[in-house]
Amino acid sequence: MIQTTLALLAVALLATPVGAAAQTRERLDNGLIVIVRENPVAPVVAVSLLVKMGTRWEEPANAGISNFVHAVMVRGTEKRSGAELAEAIAALGGKITAAGDVDYSEIRASALSRFWRELLGFTAELALAPKFSPGEVDGERDWLVGRIQKRRDNAPARAFDEFFATLYGVHPYALQVLGTPESLGRVDHAAIVAWYRRFYRPERMTLAVSGQVSAAEVLAEARRLFGDLPRGGPVSELSRPAPMSPGTRRVVEQPAQQAQILVGGIAPSLDHPDHAAVKVLSTILGGGMAGRLFVELRDKRGLAYTAAAYYDPVREPGALVLYLGTAPGNAAKAEEALLQEVERVRTDPVGADELQRAKGYLLGRYTMDRRTNERQAWYLAFYEVEGVGQDYAERYRRAVEAVTPGDVLRVARQYLGTLTTLVLRPR
Amino acid sequence: MAASLRGPGRRSPPHAEPLTRRLAASNAAPLLLRGGAVLLVLLLAGCAAIGGLRPGAAAKPTREVLPNGVVLIVQEHRASDVVALQLWMRMGGRDEAADELGLAHYIEHMLFKGTPTRPPGSIDTMIEGFGGTSNAFTSYDTTHYDFVVPVEHVREGIGLLADLAVNASFPPGEIENEKKVVFEEMNLIEDDPEKFLLRRLYELSYSPHPYGRPLLGQREFIQTLTRDQLAQFYRKHFVPKSMVLVVVGAVDPARVRPLVDATFGRIAAESPARRASPPVPALDRTRRADVARAEKQAYLGLAWRTAPTGNEDIYAVDLLTYILGDSPSSRLNQTVREQQRLVANIEAGYGAFEQAGLVTVTARLEPANLEKAEAAILDVIRKVRAEGVTEAERHRAVITAESSYAFDIETAEGLAKSYGQAETTWTLDNELAYLARLRGITAAQIQAVARKYFGDDNYARVRFVPEGASR
Repeated sequence: MIQTTLALLAVALLATPVGAAAQTRERLDNGLIVIVRENPVAPVVAVSLLVKMGTRWEEPANAGISNFVHAVMVRGTEKRSGAELAEAIAALGGKITAAGDVDYSEIRASALSRFWRELLGFTAELALAPKFSPGEVDGERDWLVGRIQKRRDNAPARAFDEFFATLYGVHPYALQVLGTPESLGRVDHAAIVAWYRRFYRPERMTLAVSGQVSAAEVLAEARRLFGDLPRGGPVSELSRPAPMSPGTRRVVEQPAQQAQILVGGIAPSLDHPDHAAVKVLSTILGGGMAGRLFVELRDKRGLAYTAAAYYDPVREPGALVLYLGTAPGNAAKAEEALLQEVERVRTDPVGADELQRAKGYLLGRYTMDRRTNERQAWYLAFYEVEGVGQDYAERYRRAVEAVTPGDVLRVARQYLGTLTTLVLRPR
Repeated sequence: MAASLRGPGRRSPPHAEPLTRRLAASNAAPLLLRGGAVLLVLLLAGCAAIGGLRPGAAAKPTREVLPNGVVLIVQEHRASDVVALQLWMRMGGRDEAADELGLAHYIEHMLFKGTPTRPPGSIDTMIEGFGGTSNAFTSYDTTHYDFVVPVEHVREGIGLLADLAVNASFPPGEIENEKKVVFEEMNLIEDDPEKFLLRRLYELSYSPHPYGRPLLGQREFIQTLTRDQLAQFYRKHFVPKSMVLVVVGAVDPARVRPLVDATFGRIAAESPARRASPPVPALDRTRRADVARAEKQAYLGLAWRTAPTGNEDIYAVDLLTYILGDSPSSRLNQTVREQQRLVANIEAGYGAFEQAGLVTVTARLEPANLEKAEAAILDVIRKVRAEGVTEAERHRAVITAESSYAFDIETAEGLAKSYGQAETTWTLDNELAYLARLRGITAAQIQAVARKYFGDDNYARVRFVPEGASR
């Protein structure tokens, strides 16, 4: 049965699946990349404009600046105020958002597909002609500080932030995308404009469009809107020392009903040869309801409510995180049981059935995550900004299929050797 | 696998991204680092839409009734090579007696635990091994069990759903273990101020009607819950006439019926016995609650009783809700947040159920602004009553509804959900005609429902106040 699944997925990725999608890619003269995917299924269109700008280029002193730039950006353009822009987008049955992330920042927009031209126009206007009115900076900072506070009040979010800070140390992946009240306090209007100018250059940008549109029409419009932007030249990049898992155990306290337990280590980047094997390892441990943590800790022993593993693809070394949310009274037992599962996967080779299940799950999820135009557009742009090429999905699928029990054992020993732990204890 | 305690507001299904940035203030969150992924999972786990309506579809589904009463709804949808299979039960939290709160939700948790031919754990393993997903949701009027699987597994998927519908075995050891899981789920809702605010608002607005009860139940009852109680409730409610099977995906509808005849078609006919509910209470100034909470910011929730599903007013109430608080350009956002800067975030939602509907307005704000913000919200509504809404606002609300529908039907499961919800709490025909009906509503009709339902006194109010804060 699994074999059938994999065979089908192969078809889905190699050929064009039913009812979907041809795609076209073009690099404009100024270096900006445009990718269009025609998908006739529903009368909608999604746009993702990714820019190589994010936490990865930030320092503790200006942490959160990439996201802050986008918060001020959406407050208005040379042509219209933020409220007018919101009004105009709403009239398309659409939405437009902008935010910073780790390896990139994104302007994301979608609308009824009959308004694709207007939507693309607003995306370009926001990206290329933001107003950055000095009067907006303080209000946006206050608003972001409120969000930081809200995130700190949220036990799982706080636990993840503390975990990454501990795990990554001086590497910028330790920083929070939102920044801190202190770092945002140091970012003024001039810093925001300078940061925008440093990164919003056509060579650093990818525009991806997916939906009920014509690729030729979208490409022509994209050339018209973005083609005149002059090249900005290369941005000097700092080289950072590779992060090392410190192997420490930290406990933080805050008011909450649930205890949070995070255990993990530094893992490969998305283009590393071990990436697929660690993805499989992560799935075996915490991939859904048939993952070991869920089955052993939640289903069999009732020691945790949430039991999962996370390993997200990023440009520099990633993090494999095993996560439990549990009642405070169960926390000690749950952590012990989690460590036993780590020991087991580092000692005993995984069985053939379990390995096949994990692969089916992983690849099935990969396909499932591409059901909406918004996700499709994001993936198309993501592969470009991460520099892995549009054949990445296919290479990844083959790499996952090739993973053996020996590979899983090897990467478990390698990447789950020095464990870093963060426990959030209700106060 | 979770109970539904999502906010009303059917317009923002659990997976939806909020409209533009300010609401997308919350957008920054999902995008945030890897912590964001967890949050998203937690949100999904805890939510099911509890409202009922959706605009209608362009392509029509087929609807058939099997001889034993099972309703089968099928539509071909070739967005990807998957099929969504959903079993909707005409049964939910409102069918529980006052001394068995939480049974419907507990059954939701236990159903995937096994049948005589499927040992505990094997169901999840099977679905995930297909690369598919499973989920289940409990609401007040309905409960549903969902799979999305690659289309070549449609036969196994339908067979599995039929097996679960009548042969769930409720293994005793699993029942005990699951208690801890349900208690944790209760904690999770209490930890999330937005979910808990809606929970309290519903409780305050509806009590003693079942819509005011906690779907997860009460700890005392769950603690002592027995297998007999579960099995008895299950046998009583899981009868063919209460079952709606929805199949949407890359399938030929003609091939589905035989698969269903051979499985669901064999279930012995039996009549359902739904529990009668007490009348829904009127809201007045006595429905007020202040709750001390650990968060540093305050939360404000107001709720007005409005139209239930099946009522002609739902179309106008729906548009009014959009106009009041759906997007950054909505009235509450523009006035209370943008101009007066009294709240960090504000939105309106409409939860329409079979026996009653509720429009909620919820906001996050500084504790010092609680009184002013409430007065400002009432002012905004007063102005709609007095002066009505503009043609531009009406038009935009219709476009928003159309867009919301278009994005829902991008996925097979989104379309299946709208059909299942409509069939169990409304009618499929009403669902299919919904967008057309919305387009026909005038600005005067919107003003009329504002006058009919929204007063200065007839609302419930819940406030979350930071511990130790003075107000």
